Amino acid sequence: MNPVETAAIVLHPTAYAFAGVCLVGAVLAVALRNVLHSILTLAATLMGIAALFLYLGSPFVAAMEVVIYVGGISVAMIFAIMFAYTLGVRRAPVRVNLLAAVPAVAFFGLMAGVFRATVFGPVPAGRDWSMEAVGRALLTHYNLVFETLSVILLLAIVGAIGIARRDPNS
Amino acid sequence: MTLHHVLLLALALFCIGLYGVLFRRHLIGILIGAELMLNAASLNFMAFNYWVVEDPAVGQIVVLFIIGLAAAEAAVALSVVLSIFRKLESADVRHLDELRG
Repeated sequence: MNPVETAAIVLHPTAYAFAGVCLVGAVLAVALRNVLHSILTLAATLMGIAALFLYLGSPFVAAMEVVIYVGGISVAMIFAIMFAYTLGVRRAPVRVNLLAAVPAVAFFGLMAGVFRATVFGPVPAGRDWSMEAVGRALLTHYNLVFETLSVILLLAIVGAIGIARRDPNS
Repeated sequence: MTLHHVLLLALALFCIGLYGVLFRRHLIGILIGAELMLNAASLNFMAFNYWVVEDPAVGQIVVLFIIGLAAAEAAVALSVVLSIFRKLESADVRHLDELRG
């Protein structure tokens, strides 16, 4: 029995608070002009999403989200910004365009209508939420996922170094 | 929270990320929008994993896969951004108008 599941009623206000953090962080991440500020608000959003993963019963995935996304990808983006930083003129901190929001809002409305019309089944009982089940599945039934991800990460490392390498002749 | 609330949150994050990908002019700004979309999809998987699915290990494995793929994609995308900036001195997508280079 998942201990987070039994504490669901107590965690309701904090879950909505983290959902608010995610939304505010996401809106700021796409609206701020300065890309460094945008990355920092994205990191806050990802921390909020990690908290929601914890609420949804998986501390391991929450920890992986924090370690890989916030601690790895966001920091790598900050490194890239420090290399690619252009000291531009002073400009307004926020910039939005309403016409570009039309496809996003249209998609939101369409899918929200689909969700309203869909009835999902009842919550199954007697599920195994342990970390051991995840490890066992990764090494036996979903072994291909595990190995494929390892190969993809190796290819990404080699490819990233190969693309960003300075030409030794120039 | 109910399943519909989390699905709507994930949908809102996806649409905000979509707006970011369509609208931002900075290359890393576009990457930020793409990361938001990937996280929205992960949140969707975890929501269904919690409320609907019989074996909860599967959803967690899918989300781990998405996180790993996002890490690989961000690494390659950032190295492409660096090499573009090294050539053009700008990370603005309006300056990327040639196929050569």
